[in-house]
Amino acid sequence: MRMRMKMLLLLFCCGVVFCDQNHSDPRVQRVFPVISINYDYVQMPFEVSLWILLASLMKLGFHLIPRLSGIVPESCLLIVVGLLVGGLIRVLGEKPPVLDSQLFFLCLLPPIILDAGYFLPIQPFSENAGTILMFAVVGTLWNAFFMGVVLYGVCRLDGGGLASVDLLSCLLFGSIVSAVDPVAVLAVFEEIHINELLHILVFGESLLNDAVTVRTLACCRSTSCFLSDHHSHQSIPSAIRVQLTSHHQSHTAKVLYHLFEEFAHVGEVSAVDVFLGVVCFFVVSLGGIMVGGVYGVLAAFTSRFTSHTRVIEPLFVFLYSYMAYLSAEVFHLSGIMALIACGVVMRPYVEANISHKSYTTIKYFLKMWSSVSETLIFIFLGVSTVAGPHAWNWTFVTITIVLCLLSRVLGVIGLTYIINKYRMVKLSGKDQFIVAYGGLRGAIAFSLAFLLSGDDFAMKDMFLTAIITVIFFTVFVQGMTIRPLVDLLAVKKKKQSKTSINEEIHTQFLELLLTGIEDVCGHYGHHHWRDKLNRFNKRYIKRCLIAGERSQEPQLISFYNKMELEQAMMLLESNSSASLIAASTVPQQRSRRTLNISKEREEEIRKILRANLQKTQQRLRSYSRHTLMPDAEEDDWSETRLRKQRVEMERRMSHFLTVPANRSESPAMRRGRFESDSQVHTVRPRVLVSVPVPLPDDPEEADGSTQSRNGGAQKPDGLQDSRGRKQSVKFALDVEEQKLPRCLSDPGPNNLLEEEELFYQKD
Amino acid sequence: MGSTNSTLLKIPNVEELMQETGFSSVHIIRLYDRFKALDKEGRGHLCPHDFGAIKELAMNPIGDRIIGAFFSPGQETVDFNTFVKILAHFRPVDKDRPRDPNSPEPINSRSNKLKFAFQLYDQDKDGKISRDELLKVLRDMLGMQVTEEQLESIADRTIQEADLDRDDAISFEEFRKVSAKILHLKKAPVVMSAEYDC
Repeated sequence: MRMRMKMLLLLFCCGVVFCDQNHSDPRVQRVFPVISINYDYVQMPFEVSLWILLASLMKLGFHLIPRLSGIVPESCLLIVVGLLVGGLIRVLGEKPPVLDSQLFFLCLLPPIILDAGYFLPIQPFSENAGTILMFAVVGTLWNAFFMGVVLYGVCRLDGGGLASVDLLSCLLFGSIVSAVDPVAVLAVFEEIHINELLHILVFGESLLNDAVTVRTLACCRSTSCFLSDHHSHQSIPSAIRVQLTSHHQSHTAKVLYHLFEEFAHVGEVSAVDVFLGVVCFFVVSLGGIMVGGVYGVLAAFTSRFTSHTRVIEPLFVFLYSYMAYLSAEVFHLSGIMALIACGVVMRPYVEANISHKSYTTIKYFLKMWSSVSETLIFIFLGVSTVAGPHAWNWTFVTITIVLCLLSRVLGVIGLTYIINKYRMVKLSGKDQFIVAYGGLRGAIAFSLAFLLSGDDFAMKDMFLTAIITVIFFTVFVQGMTIRPLVDLLAVKKKKQSKTSINEEIHTQFLELLLTGIEDVCGHYGHHHWRDKLNRFNKRYIKRCLIAGERSQEPQLISFYNKMELEQAMMLLESNSSASLIAASTVPQQRSRRTLNISKEREEEIRKILRANLQKTQQRLRSYSRHTLMPDAEEDDWSETRLRKQRVEMERRMSHFLTVPANRSESPAMRRGRFESDSQVHTVRPRVLVSVPVPLPDDPEEADGSTQSRNGGAQKPDGLQDSRGRKQSVKFALDVEEQKLPRCLSDPGPNNLLEEEELFYQKD
Repeated sequence: MGSTNSTLLKIPNVEELMQETGFSSVHIIRLYDRFKALDKEGRGHLCPHDFGAIKELAMNPIGDRIIGAFFSPGQETVDFNTFVKILAHFRPVDKDRPRDPNSPEPINSRSNKLKFAFQLYDQDKDGKISRDELLKVLRDMLGMQVTEEQLESIADRTIQEADLDRDDAISFEEFRKVSAKILHLKKAPVVMSAEYDC
């Protein structure tokens, strides 16, 4: 390791005097070791931290190079870095670490999946569930069999070194390579901002096919083990060995894999085995979902009681989810499905119960962990490429790549033809192309290949090389070209604008209308069942799982409050005092109407403001580990001042018409935004808002000016002077809260809000 | 269904109905059966009371408005033809129907769907959704769980967002504009494509 070299150097420099003296002259009294090195003590955590630090520094570096991040997706760069690091380690004479499967499946994969599952947009997912399942199950099976069979044919024809590859090995190989990888898909698709439908199709497929391909295998493995006991004696030891390795793998993407591996041992395939395999698939996926659901309900129930211990609320979310994953793995059920089910089930209830801060914490932590995991996975992929033994075979590798593409394209076209008969919104040719092209392979395939036991598959090295090549091909070639292709084909991008309250109301209204019409016709359609589910949810489940009066809060109100909150924040951030002047010329009667706000409204506004505004002194105050910063310091401010500000806010919120959101990013360059964030941060981390307090006698003439130190001010002083404002209260708004640092898996606050709202629409 | 033709014969002006609404004969028959099932007293027409008997509709917050939409102003009953014509609004849009520029716009066009929804908002039929009408709708949808203040702020906000000509009400054009992105109108229920229970 690089660090070891540095440590050795350090040792040499510092300790040379002592050591050499000690060695050369044993009679000299041993000097008191002022400086001594004990690396072994910290070795393990030290190396882990070093790797993570390296990964994060790399990530940082990419974002500082503007042009590069626009052309090349981050995953490619990370793999290249991994290659370099691996090469470096090799040069130094050490053995580069390989992607340990236990580490991968137990530590690196869960955060990514939890992040994906927790923020999964439920509505599009459930609407397209049929399509996604078709692609995931049937598509993957088709891919695996097609590839396996054709590869076998090619191997037969080729002769030479490939003659020894038998059908089962080929099928096994096919099943490993056929699975679309969620990590790679996430990494690439996050950057191209494709429209929601395609995104959910490819992403959903990658999540579900994982469960399909891997999990049933574990099942079949155990059943085949059981069967093989009766068949022959010789297979017992190998079967047990296989069983042991399966515990290490313990992950989902291997159903078919296990199936074929098992059959490779047994040497014969019986009809019972196949049937059991099918049954296993159902058991595995449904079982996983159930486990996840149970843990999700537990988490929701626990969160009901956490009002006094807000600090550890996020911990419950993470722990329950991880436990769901591990529990599912214990029974060889699908851990990924469990994780997703847990996140999906617990989210609406947990979010209703926890505090705003906890919610932000959960969001941040999930994004952070998943981002780090992703980075590490890709780097390790690069390092492992350098490390692993390779056996290059031109024919095999090129045929594999060609077949991958071919089978994917054929599969997508064929399935879409069937699916379109049942879909309302048909998938066009462009959509199909993107779905086919977006089928990237990634680290899961690699780790599966790596776990192939060398005894059973003599061609293991060749398989490994081929898989790595396929992964590189898909990630580099497809990953890099998908963005220009998307632009070229003018595929619909994600809609950038947020839902307005109009849309929200009308959508709800229309939903009610459609449900009503369905009832008139006596037709039990989609809306009917959804309505029933919502009613059940409201009446029974929410009562149990949501604390206090929040359980009664209708979704529209939550939406509205959220919108107000957002706008208050946007308002304070924005530089456009000019439009506020324009807005203030709105007819007086409107403002008069809004002045009559009740105590409750004020309380609400106060809550909103309190959630976002922080006094300067808060940063310097020390706090205890057990309680969050008490909110009492807001009471230090004079009550009247605060109330006036609130009135002002209220009015400004309702005047806030068409101020365009101050978005400096272009849709494709999320990382560009990250840069502008960093610029803002280097100058000043805050936005100063000066709120002229309206005097009680002329409430109508209030107007605000926002001043931002990064140079966007629009003559606030002039305004103030002309209006004769003497009183103004400056308070610092912590901008960092709004400018969420973006990362690969972060869809951004806009989209998060959208997803949440989309989810809330279920109510 | 063996009695297809005989059922069809019972319905007056069946051909014209099918032509106008775009329903196939199978659909018409199903709707007829449903009509008969709702019309418990066998009078040949429905009154609001019959609609009220539908359990789920009674639980629907805007159930009364929907029922009201079936009856034109002043009328107390709705016959089968009107029933079908109103339901025709909710057929999914036909992409393959040849667009004849001379014929009137099909009932289930997106614009007509929106107009139908608009009429549910606009109870006094003055062509605009006033603030009070909006408040009424919000009150229906949100029930007793919300304070009057919140309702008013939401109503204000809604009108401000949509109201382009500053007349403090939402006209149909403005309504259409803000509803442009709503996908529900694309995915109207495929009424009567699958089996249904009476």
